[in-house]
Parts: sequence; structure tokens; C-alpha cells
Amino acid sequence: MKKIRLLIVFIGAVLAPGLGRAESVVEGRVPLPKARTAPVMNKRYEIVSKGGVVAMNPPLAVVYLEGDFPAAAVQPVTQMSQKDLAFVPLLLPIRVGTKVEFPNLDDTYHDVFSYSAPKRFDLGRYLPGEKPVPSQVFEVPGLVTLRCDIHEHMRGLILVLATPHFVITDTEGHFRLGGLPVGRYVLKAWVDSKTTLERTVELKENSVLQADFP
Amino acid sequence: MKTTGRIVVGCLLGALAMPARSSEDFIDRLDESLSVSALGGAFRGRLSGSLDLEGYFFSQPPPGLMVASGPELFAPRLSMFLDVQLGEKIYAFVQARVDRGFDPTDGGMEGRFDEYALRLTPWQDGRFNFQVGKFATVVGSWVHRHGSWDNPFVTAPLPYENLTGMWDVAAVRNGSTLLRWAHVQPKHFPGDAFADSRFRLPIIWGPSYATGAAISGEVGKFTYAGEIKNGALASRPEYWGSDEVRWDHPTYSARVGFRPDERWTMGFSASAGSYLLPSAAPTIAPGTSLDDYREVVLAQDVGFAWHHWQLWAEAFETRFEIPTVGDVRTTAYYVEAKYKFTPQFSGAVRWNEQVFGTVSDSVGGRLPWGYDRWRIDVAPSFRFTPHVQVKLQYSVQPDDLGAHDYQHTLAVQFTVRF
Ligand SMILES: [Cu+2]
Repeated sequence: MKKIRLLIVFIGAVLAPGLGRAESVVEGRVPLPKARTAPVMNKRYEIVSKGGVVAMNPPLAVVYLEGDFPAAAVQPVTQMSQKDLAFVPLLLPIRVGTKVEFPNLDDTYHDVFSYSAPKRFDLGRYLPGEKPVPSQVFEVPGLVTLRCDIHEHMRGLILVLATPHFVITDTEGHFRLGGLPVGRYVLKAWVDSKTTLERTVELKENSVLQADFP
Repeated sequence: MKTTGRIVVGCLLGALAMPARSSEDFIDRLDESLSVSALGGAFRGRLSGSLDLEGYFFSQPPPGLMVASGPELFAPRLSMFLDVQLGEKIYAFVQARVDRGFDPTDGGMEGRFDEYALRLTPWQDGRFNFQVGKFATVVGSWVHRHGSWDNPFVTAPLPYENLTGMWDVAAVRNGSTLLRWAHVQPKHFPGDAFADSRFRLPIIWGPSYATGAAISGEVGKFTYAGEIKNGALASRPEYWGSDEVRWDHPTYSARVGFRPDERWTMGFSASAGSYLLPSAAPTIAPGTSLDDYREVVLAQDVGFAWHHWQLWAEAFETRFEIPTVGDVRTTAYYVEAKYKFTPQFSGAVRWNEQVFGTVSDSVGGRLPWGYDRWRIDVAPSFRFTPHVQVKLQYSVQPDDLGAHDYQHTLAVQFTVRF
């Protein structure tokens, strides 16, 4: 992982000056809420119960640049899988128009559904490895809460954004958002369904802006 | 119709008026506040529950295990669940309910601890689990969906609620007694048809939350489960508690399941145990014991689920052993299908049937010891939010008395789960 990151940095360093575009970087920190209690699985009527510890999910934030950006030339495709009775990743920021595939990597059924206003769907029960992998295209910006009709404790979030410029923070709240256009923008930090922080930023050519959220 | 109807309509309007998104958020936050964690996440507990408001409209006598003197019944129920996980190996749960009886009645509200159990899972691959407490039977496949949120219908399948002529408070002496208890002979009247329903037993009483211990596990594509309980599958809820000492006459049950892939489940179950209460001992034939009055059930279940379809079928071959009469038999089965038309709207249909074997009457002939019965259940359901749903159920079955008369039952159930 570290090697890949170094490689990306290296390629970026080689390519960035060549592109000659006026790109800007913003970095900073978002205050994150306290970690939540990990859910407890309801295993009352399962005669066979495996495992017991559901992965803790440290809260993360999504930082994005609001603005009017041209539509993507090709439809972005990404995945949110189900593994060990949890959504992986738990939080997925995507750009409007993205197709999200939902592969089932467990050897048991899931039934992924959402009743959220931006996207209402129910994938039904499909076999692990069944083709085509069930997918949905998210056309409306907003927060989509994913649930499973079989496993009450499962929760996943898809944050549909009208911008191509977004990044997910690390568990400390640090973020670095690169490749940004120059100008005056609103930088937002989505923290949870009730909290979105924002601040205006003045992005200058080939510079790194420090922008912490209060 | 008036009171029950008004309450049900009120609930429906309330649900429609509720802003779906805010209630979704509210219940999710409530869910978080009802969860606790300690010891770095090694101990985790969660309190959850459901509120069911049920209304039934029927022609007398009330169907299944319900008890009511009028043509309608309003049955509210609050169920609370506590799930506790201690490390990876220990799991415990409790179900407590406040309602008008385990099966809907027109009596007053009461509170009960319906289930409590402690489960040990020594190996993480699930090859062996041990559970002790008061919990649902391992027999069959309906238990997994008997909760109001998961059951596509308001009521249980016919085998889980259709009363036979068998009693638990007294032993049958001869065929004529059984025919009288089953209301087959002499000719009975509608008014008293269910006067003795409090003595009568189905072949399996709902999820059968009797007390005992169970082992279960998974080996490859096979699952197994076995239990020793203090009551037969037919035993009634009042005697499922551990304070009713019936350990001298325990019931043994087991199920072996096979799952070729995720779509299919198949299972064979068997159960044997005395159906008589200890208080029935003075009525048994001389030289016999309560263990000679056994209920023996052999059951098969098959399930299929794929995309938006779910199908289930179960068949029960039951014999009640009566030393003075011989074995009396009955066969019951149902086939159930559910389809999700949209993310929120589902529909289900179920065909149920039970047929009875024969028993000698007093004049040298043989008569069936119960009325053969079929029933069709149709139930559409709608989920307003991930926490609020409403179900309607219409059931029709032939009347025991007239060849061309039918009993109709309409049920509505409004559920909020949190
Ligand atoms: Cu699932």
C-alpha cells in the first residue's frame, strides 16, 4: 500500500508540471464525532451463529468542493461490496451519474435496499458470484442509506455529490484534496446526516491551501 | 367493527401523515441510543423492539388460537428484545411482551418474558453451538420468520394454530371421547364449538418457546440442531416456563438441514414427547405412564429464495399415541410464496391444509377424528419506512357445518420497529 502511494506521488510529480494546468490543492482537518457503539447482531433464530464481533467503524468525513462543473465524459463505475455481514466501504462518496455495483462477497444472501429519497431500490437476493453484479445508477445528489432486509444491523452510506472534487478524510479527520480549479469556492465537509460544515476558499494556481474546519 | 376499525384506520392515517424521512432518522438515532458497549467493545448490548397494532374481523367462532366473544378483536402488542454479545463466544437474548395474551384474546393486557437464552459458540466456524433457556423450537422453518416484521402474513400457517380434538388436561379413554372432543360426534352446535378450546391442542403451538437446551451447528452444506424441552410441540404457552416441572417427561426434537446453494434449504425434523400435563396423570389408563401418551411429529421443510421471490413449504406427519385407543394421525402442510413487487410493496399467498386419520367410534365403525380443513391466506404488505409497515390479510376456509359455507377472516397489522 505504501509503495503504491509512493508510486502515485512519483507519477504525479512527473506528470503534474507537464500538464501545465493551473491546479490547486487544499488540505486541512475536519473535527470528527465520537465513534459509535458497534452494532449487535440479532442472532435469535439462527441456529448456526458464526462470529460475534462486528467491525467498529470510526467516523469519517467527506470533504468536497461545491461548484458548477462539467459532466463526466465517461460514466464513473465503482463498487460497494458486502463482506462479513457489513458494507465495504461503509461510506462511499460518488459523483452524480455514477454506477455503483454491489457484489456479494459473503457465502450467504444479502438483500440490499434503500428507502432514501435520492434513490429508492431493492436489489433482492442474489448469489455470490452471480452475473451481472446488481448495480444502480445514482442521478440525484443527496445521502442514500443502505440497509439489508436480512441483516438488521447492516448499514452503509452513499453520498451522491454534484462535484467531481471530493475526498474522504482519514480517521483523524485529515484530508488533502488535489487537482482543483483556481477560483473562489465553497468547501464543504459532510460529517453525518445532520452535520455538513462549510467555508469559502480562495484557490490559487499551484499552491497548497491550509483550510481547517472549525 | 367500530372500535377496532377506528383504531386501525387511525394508525394507517398516522403512518401516511408521518414524514417518512424524519421518522427514519429518529428511529435510527433511537437505535443508537439504545445500544451500549463496554470493555473496549467486547461487551455490547442492544435494546430493540416492535409495536404491533392488530385488528381482526371474523365470523364466529374465531379462527386458530384466538379467543374472542365478538366478531372483531383489537390486539396491540409491544415486544422488547435485548441482544447481548460478550466477546465472540457468548450471545444472549431476551424477548419480553406486553399484549392481550400470547395468542390474541379479548382479555386484559399482560406482560411476559417469552424468550430468554444464553448461547455458547466455542468455534468461529459455527460447527457447534450450545444454547440453554426458553426459546423457539428447532423444528421446521417457520420460526425464522415468525416475528411480525418478517412474517409475510399476520397469522401463523395452519399447522401452527389449527386446533385438533386432543386435550392436554386429560387422557382420551376411547374413540367416542376423542370424537366428542373433536366435535365430530355427537353433532355439535356453533355456539359451543369452541367452549372447550382452552383444552385443545394444535400439532405445534406457534414458535413453541418451551424451556430446555439445544445444540446446533453447520458442517459444510449441512446443518444440524437438537433440543430437549419441557413441553411437546403441541404444548400451550402457559406451560413453557421452567417452573412447570416436566423434566421427568421431556420432549426431544431435532432437525437436519441441507443447503445445496443459497437458493435452496431443505430440512427434516422429528419430535417426540408427552402431550399430557402432569395434572392429567390421574386420568391415564392403569399401568401406563405419561410417556405412553406421546406426540410424535415428522416434518419436512423446503425453501427457495432468489431475487424478489421467497417460497416455503412444510409438511407435518403427526401421531398422538393413546394406549387405550391406538395411534391417531393427522397430516398438515402449507405452501407459501412471497414476491416483492417494488422496494416497498410485497404480496404473499399461502395454501394450508390439514387432514385427519380415523378412530373407532362406539358402534364399530371408524370416523375421522377431526374435520379436514383447507385455508387460503392472501396478504399484501407495504413498508412506509425501514421501520414502519402495514399488512392486510384475508383468509377463507370452509365452515365445519355447512358444505357451502365459508368462514372469512380479515386482519390488519400495523408495525413500528425500533
Ligand atoms: Cu445482509
